[in-house]
Amino acid sequence: MWNRQVHYYLGLYFFVSLWLFSLTGLLLNHPQWALSRIPNDANPEYAIAIEPTSGDTDLARARDIVRQLGLKGEIDWPQSAQAPGRLDFNVTFPKRAMQLSVDLREGRATVRQIDRSLWSAVRITHTFSGSRYNTPGMYRDWLLTSMWVTAMDALAAGLLIMVIGSYYMWYQLKTKRASGWIALVAGFLSCGWIVFGLA
Amino acid sequence: MNGAGKTLYRWTRDLHLYLGLFVSPFLVAFAVSVFFLNHAKVDTSAVSSIATVRDIAVPAGMERTQGREAVDLARKIVDQVGVTGEIGFVRYLGKERRLVIPVSRPGVETVVDVDVSKRTAVVSRRITSVMESIAYLHKSPGPHNAVLRGNWFWTRVWKWLTDGTVYLLLFSSVSGLYLWLTIRAERRVGLVLLGAGAMTFVAFLYGLAI
Repeated sequence: MWNRQVHYYLGLYFFVSLWLFSLTGLLLNHPQWALSRIPNDANPEYAIAIEPTSGDTDLARARDIVRQLGLKGEIDWPQSAQAPGRLDFNVTFPKRAMQLSVDLREGRATVRQIDRSLWSAVRITHTFSGSRYNTPGMYRDWLLTSMWVTAMDALAAGLLIMVIGSYYMWYQLKTKRASGWIALVAGFLSCGWIVFGLA
Repeated sequence: MNGAGKTLYRWTRDLHLYLGLFVSPFLVAFAVSVFFLNHAKVDTSAVSSIATVRDIAVPAGMERTQGREAVDLARKIVDQVGVTGEIGFVRYLGKERRLVIPVSRPGVETVVDVDVSKRTAVVSRRITSVMESIAYLHKSPGPHNAVLRGNWFWTRVWKWLTDGTVYLLLFSSVSGLYLWLTIRAERRVGLVLLGAGAMTFVAFLYGLAI
């Protein structure tokens, strides 16, 4: 009984989030759909004076610049090395991306800002984790990103608990056991073939 | 519940069970890979093997083509060196007369580096872990280079399967909602949880997207 309750309580709590990730997953799978497009048109760029930056590292200096300009978001660091006396980096969150090009000697930051629609922002949340497993040196540095990642982890954990619980509940139904095995094995074979069979 | 209601209930319950069981391995794959995508770091520069293949026949016009046409021609080179998988893109380095072709499939990441003048190809392979393979599939085919995506048969199959996973998941969630609504005693608690989940979602959306 408790297992059944956990199954639908979790399902109800994560209902809206599950729909968000399902629908945005479809959009990611079909980039040619009109709904999937994310406009990347920047507003006219502007230059702004900054005070001498504090910090021993490029990242610390970038954080100081972000603070001075009152920006919010995840600092997205380029893979290429920074030129002496300059700092080029992005500050992003799903609704907005800002490309900063900073001349540390002149004390001037040039900002290109890309504003996105709410729809585009929702689509971006699907992949917004502040980290890429294949990009060294890219780490989360914004509190809200860490909280969002925790929420994504919680959804994934909730789904796993629901799946494991559903196996238990199905197995208790003796009349459904044989037909259930057919459905489960068909799922495992089709998924397993792609994951392991193609390696 | 009348006769039609009972029939609807039984059908919904059975479909929820069987379709849910079928789709469950896919859900496990997507859920497990979330942890990897959010927290793992992989050294992609560590190559498992490097081999040089000689006497490569480079298709005529390879240097001038772009987009999907370039990928189709690159497939002829990739086939010659015994590599299969989704071609990421084709980069031609004009000064050096080199072609760089990254090829991915679950379990293996390969870069085929072709010297057009010497007709040789250096094939670098990186064997990936099971978790990285699943994470690769989680992101595949993905939104980037849409014109090029699906140039490997199994990528197209996976795309259909992931679409199917989403549709079955949406069906499971809606049918689950219906099955919960039939249990009167659980309605109040369920509504509170549904509302709490929606509020959490809206709060995050406000922070991230407003």
